[in-house]
Amino acid sequence: MPITKVHHFGEGVAAVAAVDEDTAEEALDLIKVDYEELPVVLTAEEALKPDSPPVNEFMKSNIPYFSDFNFGDVEKGFKEADHIREEKFSSQRVTVGFIEPHACLAEVDPTGRVLLQGSKQSPYITWRHMCRALDIPLFRMRIVNPFVGGAFSGKHDPFDVDFAAVKLAQVTGRPVKIVLNYDEVLAAYRQRNAMDARLRLGVKKNGVITALRAECILEGGPICGIGPFNIYYFGAFLNIPYKIPAIEYHGKLVYSNRAPCGTVRGQEITLAQFALDSLLHMVAEDLGIDQVDIRAINAVTDNWRTANGMIVDVSGLPECIKKSSDKIKWKESRKGRPPGRGIGFSCASHPSGPRLGGHFGSSVILKLVEDGKVVLTHGGTEIGQGANTVFCQMAAEVLGLPFEDIIQGVSDSDTAILDSGMFGDRCTYWDGNATIQAATDLKRQLAEIAAKELQANPEELEFKDKRIFLKGKPEKGIDFLLAVRRAYYERGTPLYGRGYWAATDIDIVDWKTGKGNLAHGLDFIATAIDLHVDKETGKVTLVKAAHGDDAGQPINPLLLEGQVTGGSTHLAGQALFEESLYDEKGVALNYTWRDYKQPTSMDAPEYVVEHVHTHDPYGPFGAKGAGEASSCSTMAAIANGVYDAVGVRIKELPITPEKILKALKEKEAR
Amino acid sequence: MFIKRLPKFEYHVPISVSDALDLLAKHDRKAMVFAGGTDILVSMKKREILPEHLINLKGIVELKGIHYDEKEGIKIGALTTLGEIEHSEIVKDKFCVLWDAVNVMASPQIRSLATIGGNLCGAVPSADTAPPLIAIGASVKIVGIHGERSVLVENFFKGPKESALQRNEILTQILIPNPLPRSSGTYLKLMRRNAMDLALVGVAANIRLDLKRNVCTEARIALGAVAPTPIRAMQAEQVLVNKEIGEALAEEAGKTAATVCRPISDIRCSLEYRCSMVEVLTKRAVMDAYERIS
Repeated sequence: MPITKVHHFGEGVAAVAAVDEDTAEEALDLIKVDYEELPVVLTAEEALKPDSPPVNEFMKSNIPYFSDFNFGDVEKGFKEADHIREEKFSSQRVTVGFIEPHACLAEVDPTGRVLLQGSKQSPYITWRHMCRALDIPLFRMRIVNPFVGGAFSGKHDPFDVDFAAVKLAQVTGRPVKIVLNYDEVLAAYRQRNAMDARLRLGVKKNGVITALRAECILEGGPICGIGPFNIYYFGAFLNIPYKIPAIEYHGKLVYSNRAPCGTVRGQEITLAQFALDSLLHMVAEDLGIDQVDIRAINAVTDNWRTANGMIVDVSGLPECIKKSSDKIKWKESRKGRPPGRGIGFSCASHPSGPRLGGHFGSSVILKLVEDGKVVLTHGGTEIGQGANTVFCQMAAEVLGLPFEDIIQGVSDSDTAILDSGMFGDRCTYWDGNATIQAATDLKRQLAEIAAKELQANPEELEFKDKRIFLKGKPEKGIDFLLAVRRAYYERGTPLYGRGYWAATDIDIVDWKTGKGNLAHGLDFIATAIDLHVDKETGKVTLVKAAHGDDAGQPINPLLLEGQVTGGSTHLAGQALFEESLYDEKGVALNYTWRDYKQPTSMDAPEYVVEHVHTHDPYGPFGAKGAGEASSCSTMAAIANGVYDAVGVRIKELPITPEKILKALKEKEAR
Repeated sequence: MFIKRLPKFEYHVPISVSDALDLLAKHDRKAMVFAGGTDILVSMKKREILPEHLINLKGIVELKGIHYDEKEGIKIGALTTLGEIEHSEIVKDKFCVLWDAVNVMASPQIRSLATIGGNLCGAVPSADTAPPLIAIGASVKIVGIHGERSVLVENFFKGPKESALQRNEILTQILIPNPLPRSSGTYLKLMRRNAMDLALVGVAANIRLDLKRNVCTEARIALGAVAPTPIRAMQAEQVLVNKEIGEALAEEAGKTAATVCRPISDIRCSLEYRCSMVEVLTKRAVMDAYERIS
């Protein structure tokens, strides 16, 4: 909550707890707040003016962060280019929507220890930040995270409600629950940065990229938050999924008096890819190169080291491109297509969890119950993406148990060692590896018991179909349950499996200079979208989307498909109609579900997802992260599809019917 | 600013229209009637209105249901939900222009609560049932303490959120005459996304052809969301009457309709876009209606 001034529309200034909600609201109505109107800064352009009023009273400038880097010989790259094109792109403020609004329940026990239960995507972040804000040591707060009704990166950090609930619980000694309404969530909580970018791309006649120069300004509201990472991410992921030998990047993060930004699904890679793949389409057209060919020519391949030092172990991207173009019938479409129809392409890559500063590991504890079932507790968060399912699958696989015998435990800071967070396609990869370790640890302990029973070497035992037996000799074995009972009833030993994993061999990247290998498991996607543009109304209808997706070895193909199509549908909203609007005084204009529109199932095209199986050397069972790549590739695919359909290029998101009609009119006038 | 919990109010559930009228008379300006509650309850949560007495009409059986008569047409009780209209075979078959509208309104959940009477009495410019009802010559029955009267839907709207309802009157029924031979209609609604959205522009066209040729003998065109109230575009209708229906003629009618509308720019789209969409949708609605006849 603000200390000296209010920074944005909807920022809380007071909190009330009462015996019921009606009383609390009555009390709120009795609080009179006198506001003195201050000048506001709403756009990046305003923030960058030398005389712009400071948004953050604790900072001297409205530019809290820069990121500048230069890899390879950019000058030489542009000299070698046969064709250079420079374009500007912009994207709008969008907010995050989920089924469950921000909610929390705080209790304080007689010793003063706080129990906070919330709807959090990364409870570890909330835990640490809350303890700092409340000036208490970590052990004085226990955080329990129940099932979360969606997050899409909107629930990483602690909010005013969490803080207020704890404070009020401390004062009253009673549990305090705060649940926000949707209009509050849409108006005043986390949004995606607005972007202004300029990209200059150099290519050879044959389509090979020689150099890229990029500038990006992200407007992120009155807080920095994860903004410095966002500004780095935009530049870092221009290095991939295409082979770009030389790259120069200048990024700025600026403050404003709009709602605070955090991240949204796909983070700022979504914006970088929208700009890069739109420009790639233009360049290919200038040179008369096929849209599929130019992507295939430049696609990152196995054992590739990007200009900024990211290492790609395995890339299924070339195959993804082939699959998506085949499924969308690209070649056939070039022979003829109905009026208003077009196909657009974009590729993208996303890491399987970047390494950030601070605690960055993942851990899993398995508790073997005396009836032979296993309780799995991990520090990642189930936010609807299927993490729980996937980890239970992995543990079941290692222990030779049916999936149903693995039970998901509660995310609790007292019992599970917290995970650094559920972001960046990280959980399957990091917590997945920890799960396999934990299951292997438990298996080793059971194997010792069974080995005695079977008079065999523990290493020669196999776990399968709820049995433990000599490798290749299923008849020479015992039931899994018998080994469990030996442990509990004869030895009096409860068994636990412990596992942890952290990619200690990757770099902590300096976001200001951007050099380093920030993650393993770069996943890939190639997206092709077939769409129709109504030339009279300007309305875009997505007909079919074909995604060729390399998430390594799919662990759960159905959930993976859901992640791919979900990310694509989500970002179709940002591409076509979502926008958080403000008036000239910074008052939010569309913060109800009536006025702020996200796509429904009626707006989704037919989806085809082709999993390209690769084997990541570091991933659990060869898997990579998934779920965000499709959100990164969708917007450019739509922009390129609109161009293919009616010949107009929209570079300012969202691609509304009005913008299309205006561009069509201008095109006709030429 | 933000939604709050419902304010305190007295709640009444009359079981007859006369009981409801008595309650209205008794509490007068302090009372409001409501049906589905999909508009009024939200307005109360936003503190836009604060009635001390809420009179729920849903207990009044006589206000519910769809009654069809081959001679008189269809009578729809004001408390009939949009969902009930959507699922009515007779509406879909004979009054398809109205069916078009309810089919694209809100979500199935809202349609199971919201009523046709409420949609009209709310009198917002974008009320989806209004243009179709105007286009098929529907009227509403209004009952007050001094008796009842009938008003054409076309004349029902007086301004944004203002209707012909006098103080303490209740809209009880919607009457739609039977469709004439060789006539049909279409309602087209433009939205930002394909479901659960308000109309940027709504156009209803109902046309009648002569018995032998494709000459239009009667036409009614009504527009939604492009003026302070739903409006009829008579000049556009005149373009069609006594002429053979075809693409060029429909386009001309669209151009004329675009001169009749008086939209505003808002967060959903601009005035200019709304005008040009009136042109496009009118043309398409006329051609759709025409194709439905043959």
